[in-house]
Amino acid sequence: MMRFLIFAIFVLAAFAISCGRGQTPTAEVNVAQVKEVTLDPNDSAWRDVTPHVSKLLLQDLVDPRLMEPSTADVQVKAITDGAQIAFRLEWLDETQNDVPSPKHFVDGCAVQLPSKIEANVPAPQMGEVGKTVEIAFWRADWQAIVEGRADNIQSIYPNATVDHYPSEAKPLENNPQALSEAAARYAPARALGNRRAGPRDQPVEDMIAEGPGTLSPAPNAFSKGKGVKTKTGWAVVISRPIPAGFTASAPSQIAFAVWEAAHGEVGARKMRTGWVPLILK
Amino acid sequence: MARVNNWQLGREMSYWYPESRPEKQFAAVFDTNKCIACQTCTLACKTTWTSGKGQEYMLWNNVETKPYGFYPLAWDLNLLEMLDGQQWSEKDGNHVYDGSTIFESAPAGERVHGWRPSDEDYAYPNVGEDDCAGGVDGGASMEVPHQMAWFYYLARICNHCTYPACLASCPRGSIYKRPEDGIVLVDQGRCRGYQECVRGCPYKKVFFNPMTSTSEKCIACYPKIEEGLSPQCFSNCIGKIRMAGFLNTPDKAQADNPLDYLVHIKKVALPLFPQFGLEPNVYYIPPIHVPTSFTKQMFGPGVDKAVEVYRNAPNDPDLTSLLGLFGSTESIVRKWKRVGDKAIGMDENGKELVNVPFREPVHIRPAYDKLHQITRTNCP
Repeated sequence: MMRFLIFAIFVLAAFAISCGRGQTPTAEVNVAQVKEVTLDPNDSAWRDVTPHVSKLLLQDLVDPRLMEPSTADVQVKAITDGAQIAFRLEWLDETQNDVPSPKHFVDGCAVQLPSKIEANVPAPQMGEVGKTVEIAFWRADWQAIVEGRADNIQSIYPNATVDHYPSEAKPLENNPQALSEAAARYAPARALGNRRAGPRDQPVEDMIAEGPGTLSPAPNAFSKGKGVKTKTGWAVVISRPIPAGFTASAPSQIAFAVWEAAHGEVGARKMRTGWVPLILK
Repeated sequence: MARVNNWQLGREMSYWYPESRPEKQFAAVFDTNKCIACQTCTLACKTTWTSGKGQEYMLWNNVETKPYGFYPLAWDLNLLEMLDGQQWSEKDGNHVYDGSTIFESAPAGERVHGWRPSDEDYAYPNVGEDDCAGGVDGGASMEVPHQMAWFYYLARICNHCTYPACLASCPRGSIYKRPEDGIVLVDQGRCRGYQECVRGCPYKKVFFNPMTSTSEKCIACYPKIEEGLSPQCFSNCIGKIRMAGFLNTPDKAQADNPLDYLVHIKKVALPLFPQFGLEPNVYYIPPIHVPTSFTKQMFGPGVDKAVEVYRNAPNDPDLTSLLGLFGSTESIVRKWKRVGDKAIGMDENGKELVNVPFREPVHIRPAYDKLHQITRTNCP
C-alpha cells in the first residue's frame, strides 16, 4: 500500500511539472519581462511564467553514446530584467547524486545558446566549427560546495582517516609558501587553473564549444545559478547576461541537457534537446 | 576506426586513431621471478606523486599476488569474462591472435569494451596477498614442481601503451601520448573527469580524483626520464627486478639495446594481456614455477619459450650478464655489452654508466678448520 501511495504521489508530481501547474506549455521558450531576475528556484516570480516542456532525446549521435533513455522531459521557464536572462529548469529525478567518486557521477543540467543570433544556427549538438555555442553548466556537487561542503576527503567519505598530507606538514625550512606549493604539487589540475577542479564560488560554469569534444572554458565567467532538490527532482535557475542582439523582434534559439547520474550519465552520455525557439515577450 | 599494426597480435587491428608511433617508446622489463612484494616501489611512487587530497586510494604502482590478488578488485577477471574466451593460432611460426581486442569488441555506442570499478573495488589493495592457487591441506609438504600450491607477485604500473585505451576512450582528447618518448599523460588542465578513461583502461591504471574531479595516472616519472634517469619505482626496487629503457619495433630491434634484446631477440619478456590489443610497453619475464595454462592467458602464447630461455640463463652468459644489469644504476641503460664476466651498461653515446660482474668468485671453505682445529658451523 505504501509503495502504491509513493508511486501515486510521484505520478501526480510528474503530471504537475509537465503541465506547469495548470498553465498550458508553449512550444517555444517565452521570456517574460520582470523588474529583477531571481536566482531562487522557489521565488514566487516564477509562478506565473508560462512554461515550456522540452522532450529530451538520447545523445546517440557521438560515441560514447547514451543507449537507454532516462529523464523524459525538462520544464523550462525564462525571465529577463533587460540585462540578465534567467532560466528555471525542473525535471524529475528520484535520487540526489551530488558526491563524485569512482563510478559515481553527479546530477547536472546545461543551457546552450548560439554565440551569435543569425538565421543559420549552429548544429544543436554543441555547435560546429566557426559557429560557436555558449553553454552554462550547473552541477549538483558544485551546488553543495558553494553551500559549504568542506574541501576535504571526509566530505566525500565521512569515515575516512588520513595519516598525513605533506601539504599540511610543518616545513623544515623557513618558507611560508612551502605548504601551498606542496598542495599544488599534489593537485595538478588545480595548479593548472582547471576550473573544474574547485574550490568554487558559483555552481555554474561558462563554457564554449565548436562541436562535440571541443568544450572549453569561456573567456569570461558571467553565469550564476542555484539548484535545489525538490521532492520529485531538481529545480535549477541559471542566470546570465542577455545575449547580444536578443530583442522581441530578433528571437534566438536555446537547447538543454540533463544528466541523471544514477543512470550513469556523464559527459557525452546525456539526455538533450534540439534547438527550441527563444522569444522575448 | 583506423587499421593499425599490432605486432604483439601478429596482425592488424582496429583502433580509434591512425598508427602514429613516437620517436622512441618508453618501455620496461619486470622479472617476476625476483619480486618479493616488499612494496617499496609502491611507497616510492606514493610519496612522490599521490600524497594529496583525493589521491588517498590511488596506487599508480602496485604489487599484487597472483592468482588471487587484484587492485582494483577483479580488474583482469572482469574483462576476461567480458571477452568470453579468445584463441591464438600459429601462422608461419608466428603467433596470431584470432580473437577480438577491446577495440574490436566494443558494443554499439562505446569506443572501447570496458567497465568502471567502484570505490569499493579499490578498498582492499593487497587482497589475496600470499594466497596460494590451490589449498594447502594438513600434512602437505613442499614438492618441486609446485603443482597447484603456487603464487607469484605481479608489480604493475601504467603500460604506456602504443594504442592506449584511455586515450581512445576520452571524448575530449584530454589524454595524449608524448611524441618524444611515448609516455601517456592526462592533460590536467583539460580533463573534465568523465571517467571514460577509467572505464576504458583494461589495466585500471587511470584513477579518478574525487577532490579535483579529474582523472590522474602514472606519468612514468617523466621529469626523471628527461634527465636520463629511471622512474622512482625502478630506482627504489629492493629486488632489482626492473629495467627501464626504450623499445624498438621487432623489425628495428637492436641487439645492443637491452630491452630489444630481452623482448625481441631472446623473447624472454612478454606483454601483459596482449590480447586486449593495446600493445602495452611493460614486459614481464613470466614466473617459471607457475602452470603455463595460467601464465599463457596473462602473457600470451610465448610463455613456454620464455620460461625455457630463462631456465637456460645459467648456460647463456649474455643473457645472464644482462639480467645482472637490472637495478645496477639509476641511469637508464640505453646500450649494453658483455665483456668476459662483466656486463657493461652504457648511455646512448656508448659511454659507460656501470659495469657489473655476473659471476661472483666462489670460495669453498672446508668444514673442518685445520688451523684452529675446529669444525665450522654454517654461518656467514
